[in-house]
Amino acid sequence: MSDSDNASDLDDGPDGVRAEEEATGGTVEGAAREPDRKAPDEREAITTDEEKDDARQIVTGEARYTADYRDRFPDLAHGKVVRSDIAHGHVESVDTSAAEAMDGVYAVITPFDDVVPDTLYSSSGQSYPEPSPWDLTVLREHVRFVGDPVAAVAAEDPDTADRAARKVEVEYRERDAVFDPEAALDEDAPQLFETDDVENKQSGADYARNLESHFEGELGDVDAAFDAAEAGEGVHVVETEWETPYQSHCVPEPHATIAYTDEDDRHVFITATQVPFHTRRQISHLFDVPIRDVRVTKPRIGAGFGSKQEMAIEPITFALHLAAGRPVKLEMTRQEEFTALRFRHPMRMRMKTAVTEEGDIEAMDLYTLSNSGAYGTHGMTVANNVGTKPLPIYPRVPNVRFSGDVVHTNLPMGAAMRGYGAPQGHFAVESHMDEVARRLGLDPIEFRLRNAVREGDLDRSVAILKDDDRFERTIRSCGIRECVERGKEAIGYDDLDQPDEDHRHRGVGMALIAQGSGVAGKELGAAQVKMNEDGSFHLQVGGVDTGTGADTMFSQIAAEVLGCPPEDVVVVAADTDLTPFDYGAYASSTTYISGRAVKNAAEDAKERLLEWGATLLDEPPEVLDTGDGAVYSEETGNRVSLEEIGYEATYGDDEREHILGDGNHSTDESPPPYGAQFVDVTVNEETGEYDLNKLVFAADCGVAINPALVEGQIEGGEHMSLEYATSGGLSFDGEGNPEVQGFRQYGMPRTTDHPPMETILVETHEPTGPFGAKSIAELPTNGVPPALSNAIRDAVGVRLTELPFTDEDLRAALDARDGDD
Amino acid sequence: MQIELEVNGETETFEASKSDSLLDVLRANGYTGAKRGCDTGACGFCTVHVDGDPTLSCVTPVTKAEGASVETIEGLGEQDDLHPVQQAFVDNTALQCGFCIPGMIMRSKALLDENPDPTEQEVREALSDNLCRCTGYKKIVEAVLDAADRMDVDRAVATDGGPPSDGDPPPDTAAGGTLDSGCPPGGCDCSGGEP
Repeated sequence: MSDSDNASDLDDGPDGVRAEEEATGGTVEGAAREPDRKAPDEREAITTDEEKDDARQIVTGEARYTADYRDRFPDLAHGKVVRSDIAHGHVESVDTSAAEAMDGVYAVITPFDDVVPDTLYSSSGQSYPEPSPWDLTVLREHVRFVGDPVAAVAAEDPDTADRAARKVEVEYRERDAVFDPEAALDEDAPQLFETDDVENKQSGADYARNLESHFEGELGDVDAAFDAAEAGEGVHVVETEWETPYQSHCVPEPHATIAYTDEDDRHVFITATQVPFHTRRQISHLFDVPIRDVRVTKPRIGAGFGSKQEMAIEPITFALHLAAGRPVKLEMTRQEEFTALRFRHPMRMRMKTAVTEEGDIEAMDLYTLSNSGAYGTHGMTVANNVGTKPLPIYPRVPNVRFSGDVVHTNLPMGAAMRGYGAPQGHFAVESHMDEVARRLGLDPIEFRLRNAVREGDLDRSVAILKDDDRFERTIRSCGIRECVERGKEAIGYDDLDQPDEDHRHRGVGMALIAQGSGVAGKELGAAQVKMNEDGSFHLQVGGVDTGTGADTMFSQIAAEVLGCPPEDVVVVAADTDLTPFDYGAYASSTTYISGRAVKNAAEDAKERLLEWGATLLDEPPEVLDTGDGAVYSEETGNRVSLEEIGYEATYGDDEREHILGDGNHSTDESPPPYGAQFVDVTVNEETGEYDLNKLVFAADCGVAINPALVEGQIEGGEHMSLEYATSGGLSFDGEGNPEVQGFRQYGMPRTTDHPPMETILVETHEPTGPFGAKSIAELPTNGVPPALSNAIRDAVGVRLTELPFTDEDLRAALDARDGDD
Repeated sequence: MQIELEVNGETETFEASKSDSLLDVLRANGYTGAKRGCDTGACGFCTVHVDGDPTLSCVTPVTKAEGASVETIEGLGEQDDLHPVQQAFVDNTALQCGFCIPGMIMRSKALLDENPDPTEQEVREALSDNLCRCTGYKKIVEAVLDAADRMDVDRAVATDGGPPSDGDPPPDTAAGGTLDSGCPPGGCDCSGGEP
């Protein structure tokens, strides 16, 4: 573990030096000495509410999503998956004869077909090799949950495919199943995986105990700190437990893929994915075809939220295509989304702290037990983030331990979901901190601010699970205190009116929030800028717009550098044939990593613009800058338009050049955005019913590029967080059959379920981000559960610890409180 | 079988099977603005108008729609000439992934056709069967209220026959220019609606 010298190491070491060089534009001497930091009135494009580039296509219905491409393929076949209806067992036989005999059926595939590889892989759209076990096959001979894919059909229309799929007869040899993660750890529990069923095992795996991963890390000496606290006076030890359910992404566009082979014998995927380049690599591995022969394109995508950070259905679609010999489209149904695809991992967490009477935290110990479900995609990494996202809110705590177990059960598989472990972790940590303050008689907000992160802190807890100190980080931007101050004012924290009725009580709760900006040391974004002769640009970027407005954000960053309006930047994105590489849209990386690559590419092109401007204006490039559609001289005020430069560079008599710019970005940095979530609640003490009066979220995401889009991210993230707190969750019967089959059984909040929401943007400047930006997308998914638990505690003195909070839970807690009196 | 529908004012004949929903037939014939989100009438992404009523096309058998007048998002406005509801969604950034938006707009237009001046609560109730996962609904509700204001301005212009006939061109929606808005005849630089 590191010592305090690491603060200066980080600032002055190789990474710090590189960051500084890049931040000043590297090669553009003098033109803009600190182009990253601009006062609001110096910004041309980055902080305007630029119209989302696909807004008009969306509102006219012209935006095309994967399934809308059917009209390009007159011979398109439609796929349908046959899924296991038992929770655990082995496929003994599959009778496909009745299905194959049907008119209009092109192919029926099973795990026993040559066209279906039995290669092990992970569906997680992560870096290579994935930090997830390779435990999947395309179709499953060993089924491990109700919904596992066993066979698939391709037919001339969806109706024929459905009917054929129902005629596929599967015989199983059933085995005992296990549904509880603690029971699954028992040595006598049914075992889901034999050792050689898995490659690329993750740290601490013990498949004899259904253990996908065990991990732990420590700073200082936690046991000694607790021993001292128990022995001495003036230090209090508080321990709490928390439980969270499955949550569905409720992704608007169900997973959809079209796979075909083009006239050049190259395999093409039009697919709803957050990770085109990872998918290309994984398809190549799985089907043993060269990467260069695979093309993955992403059209408009009906959101992802992590559900599409997965190669979830592309392999089955491709196998069907190979078997049918024609293009195949596979679209998931909503029922499949709710029963067979991907979810947020359910968890049980334990948090223990030692705190002095004054409110200094001496030690923190967090443990999580994650139910990974049947397969291990994102199992370990999501559980890691339970600690490594919220614990860094308190970076000065000297003794910290974080450990976890990730366990398989015969239930649907957890995976990436917006927040990625942080929603679970914040529920435990931020509810716990509030409880500590109330038990010690401290103001819950003051207690947390006393311990909370400040600019200049060295955060070691983010790297608590790492073997070395490479990923410890110095906090260079932090607006968490202003978030709290402005949030308090907006919610009316100091001036709360109580209802007139004696049985109704109003309370306010707050949670501090942190996330990251990309995966430190595991990201790469790249972009290219090409100038057109009319002074407009094409921007080719690997980054993936999942509906967030990332393409618009990219155009604004490029425009700010190039000095043109954002609408003069045509964005071509996320096509493995046409655009540079990108890890994809996950881990809140798009603005920070891909956006920074765009900025670097634009700065590279800008260098050439200034050279051409220098020639045409007969002035040195050092006194020139771009702006307002031109290159202009800061000394003489002379200007030459980008269009003049474009034509001269393309068609000039003396010398010609296609003005291009390249940009890459990779980094060990992942600066946290911060936030404060406030919830105002009124509880009916007689019934346990509670009403949310208002939500306030104040966010520090550095400089907010396109504030309207940022607000949209916050409000949508709070929506998911509201669901997690109040109405989400899946249930299963005693045999592992899912009881939630669609929206009617799932508690996704509607317009009428939403309380008023107020969004506050607190600007800071993150020196390593593009124009000072940090991430925003995941941050607001973390806050409502702890803030609501804290608000209810404030209102009526009881603590709810299990999500979602039902009226019955609250009533039971109130009854218990009154029984204790 | 063949089925005859009036779609966005044009009478068309489509090939269909008896079990097809209206959504199946629309999407198979190029009207892909209506989205398939659940196929059980539970999300609202497939909302179109049938004989003027907002209708979940995924649970409407196409045989039931035979001969009906169907209005889809494709019939509403064009990218450079948006209907006020569409324009309000754009201007209020009331969209992200966009998958729910065609249904949301058709539902909103039906509301405003029936109730031109809804309260926020009435908007929330009217949209409560249309799900959105991205926006938290806040900007969508604001957009519908904004659209009501814009359409109110349009109607006022239509009723008045426009500004006094002194040769000025009629104001466009965005420029305000009605008695309600407090703007001078012929429009002003304000964003319309609010003086």
